[in-house]
Amino acid sequence: MSDDKHDPFESLKGAAAPDPRAEARQRALAAGMAAFEASQKKTVAPPQGNLWGQRLTSIIASLKGKKIMDMRLPLGTAAIVLLVLPLGYQLYTTTSMTPADVAVRQQPAPEPVPVEAAAEERQELTVASDAVAAAPPVVAPEPQPVEMDSALADAEMASEIAPQRGVVAPVPMATMAPAGKMAESAAMPGPTATEPSGDQFTSFDEQRLKAVADEPVSTFSIDVDTASYAYVRRQLEDGFVPEPDAVRIEELINYFPYGYAPADSAEVPFKPTIGVFPTPWNPRTQLLQIGIKGYVPPAGEDRPSNLVFLIDTSGSMDEADKLPLLKRAFGLLVDQLSANDTVSIVVYAGSAGVVLEPTVATEKAKILGALDNLAAGGSTAGAAGIELAYRLAEQAKVDGGTNRVILATDGDFNVGIDDPDALEDFIKAKRESGTTLSVLGFGRGNLDDATMQALAQNGNGNASYISSFREAQKVLVEEMGGTLDMIAKDVKIQIEFNPAVVSEYRLIGYETRALNREDFNNDAVDAGDIGAGHTVTALYEITPAGSGAELIEPLRYGQVTEAPAAGGEIAFLRMRYKLPDSDVSQLIEQPVTPDVVYGDIAEASEDMRFAAAVAAFGQKLKGSNYGSAMGWDDVAALARSGRGADESGHRAEFIQLVEAASLLKPDTDACDASVSGEVCE
Amino acid sequence: MHGLMERDAASQGDMANAVTRALVVRAQNGDAQAFGELIADHYDLIHRTAWKWCGNRTDAEDIAQDVCVKLGQAIAQFDGRSAFSSWVYRITLNAVRDLQRSTVRRARHSDAYAEVAPEKQAAEQEEAATSGQLWQAVRRLPDKQRDAVLLVYAEDLSHAAAAEIMGIKEATVSFHVHEARKTLRGLL
Repeated sequence: MSDDKHDPFESLKGAAAPDPRAEARQRALAAGMAAFEASQKKTVAPPQGNLWGQRLTSIIASLKGKKIMDMRLPLGTAAIVLLVLPLGYQLYTTTSMTPADVAVRQQPAPEPVPVEAAAEERQELTVASDAVAAAPPVVAPEPQPVEMDSALADAEMASEIAPQRGVVAPVPMATMAPAGKMAESAAMPGPTATEPSGDQFTSFDEQRLKAVADEPVSTFSIDVDTASYAYVRRQLEDGFVPEPDAVRIEELINYFPYGYAPADSAEVPFKPTIGVFPTPWNPRTQLLQIGIKGYVPPAGEDRPSNLVFLIDTSGSMDEADKLPLLKRAFGLLVDQLSANDTVSIVVYAGSAGVVLEPTVATEKAKILGALDNLAAGGSTAGAAGIELAYRLAEQAKVDGGTNRVILATDGDFNVGIDDPDALEDFIKAKRESGTTLSVLGFGRGNLDDATMQALAQNGNGNASYISSFREAQKVLVEEMGGTLDMIAKDVKIQIEFNPAVVSEYRLIGYETRALNREDFNNDAVDAGDIGAGHTVTALYEITPAGSGAELIEPLRYGQVTEAPAAGGEIAFLRMRYKLPDSDVSQLIEQPVTPDVVYGDIAEASEDMRFAAAVAAFGQKLKGSNYGSAMGWDDVAALARSGRGADESGHRAEFIQLVEAASLLKPDTDACDASVSGEVCE
Repeated sequence: MHGLMERDAASQGDMANAVTRALVVRAQNGDAQAFGELIADHYDLIHRTAWKWCGNRTDAEDIAQDVCVKLGQAIAQFDGRSAFSSWVYRITLNAVRDLQRSTVRRARHSDAYAEVAPEKQAAEQEEAATSGQLWQAVRRLPDKQRDAVLLVYAEDLSHAAAAEIMGIKEATVSFHVHEARKTLRGLL
């Protein structure tokens, strides 16, 4: 082959790749068969149905049928048709059975000998067809003689089948090159189709500064997800600055528990805690903080849960921080459950199917055993995992409790429904019938954060990123109630600012959660959900009217409307929520009065200082146009001052993270000049 | 240089080829059993190729399974104009390329397998055969060059056969091999 002497490439020869593992082989073959059968259903079944209905007619008619079909082909193929038809006829007479035979032998598989003959015949035809480019479509139906069915076809059927063939025909027409491509594109999206380059995030623009005169009302949906913080932490700990779109400030802030005033009853499941204090990165503006804490049902009230774990077992899950971590994490969760909870396990991708039928949570050994037996391997292939999971959830459905599918994946979302929109619709439909969905992300490099968020939001669940065992503990043990026990859904917040007091405002974070003003009163618009004990915090940076810190020039020709002073109210807060079993929203209203204004940030509560520090951290990390003036040291100092008791240690960890970030993304001198807090690009 | 791919492949065993062709035809007609035999016959080829191209088990198994699925979906579109094995090669190579578009994976694994530690289990030491420095270098070549080199040398195919699999001209295969030599000049 090669004439080179001492060709180093020659040493590539004869290298033996290790033998495939039997189970991987088996899995692959099974997946291939499944795909084959699925494609057969699509392509072969319809004509077959026709055939059986209209069989037992003359074989001559079927030839007529072929002729009719062939006549639809371009004239250029006419010569080939003339060649093919006699050959085809001969095939029929030599390898196929007479109509009398057919009546007897409908089902048996074709015998290998005639098939081979047909194949060879076909080969010849193929060679002949090389002469005329468009010939293959003629050839394509040729293997039909092998199949009994085609012998049964009559003219009617053939004319019906012709258009169907028409659909298939272009494919054989393709040359080798496009055929390969077509196989490619026809295939379901493999792991790479959804993630060409590592982790994926929805890109979004930062919330911009708005003038109260133009847009006095700000509306958004709450968000209890924390995936962004866990991801950012992991990147920083490994010495990388996360990409800006990975930093969602509201998820950073909401990662931490805050000691807001608890709600009094399940009927009004939260009440707002409001504070206004000076902005740490801009002395001339203020931060308006709104915090809510979900009602915590008294201990002893044990609502039943029906949990279905839908676990990705694709080959890529076979890493220490994926499947093994997932097993231990779910072990933790199972420990929290009680006798009126059920657990089921469905796997998709590598292997597919039900691993554990709905099982009472007290049978821990059985559940943990099933978890332990999970193994990652193989690829992500067409198992209808998600439908199976929802079927099990319906099967074990509990009334008055939580019915939830918990999807654990490293980013392979081909759970059986390929089209992302169809998947979202499916999840949304299931949500209506009472089964919700949470997503736990694992690992890195393949993570599809955007899809995770979208699915969890559509499923009324939450998206968390499990980067370590510690994080698993936080999500599945400390916040188990919040994760599983939804106390209010579709929680929306709307703030109307008083133009007499506030001239400009900017919502920090919640970019992916913004709602239109009219969505607030529209109960059909979906919004975030809050679980038992969850805390949600929103921060606005507001510019007091007349402070001179405005960035937006007032309109020269704008109307000067003197707003009614309304007793010096700063803003008016409206919150809408639905109780878990209701479709009608309730309204909570509360004015933001000067009583809650703190003159100095040191007087504000620890929670407020800490939340402000996290916001500053997020803004700096993503290179925001705002808040970059504050140095990392100041952020760390502010966080330290707001650390409080910090029993879980999460806040202490955050302070470490600020220090790590300060080394990875040092403060630039250019920004130090603008201590006044002006925009620092 | 050589005859048509078909002739070339045929020389390896007319019988086996005839069986494959028959199976393909039956599978195209919806015979699941035939398709099962077909992929069972070709799984080793697919897995071996995937292994050589990627150099690690996880990717090789992922790819092999992907290819089986793709075969199942696309067998009806196989036009019989080339040898079935060429078609399978082609799909496998496409699957490799798709997988490796995720650059993270590529970097991670090629580094992880750059050295074979002595404490690796016996079973894994086989991997050493395809994990040498040269293999690493070849796997990091641009796709076309890598495919050409591996098809011609590691798979011991003719330039014509490689050309057919890659969907390019025979001369272009030689060109890619030549380019690969140039790229790797420092190493070879």
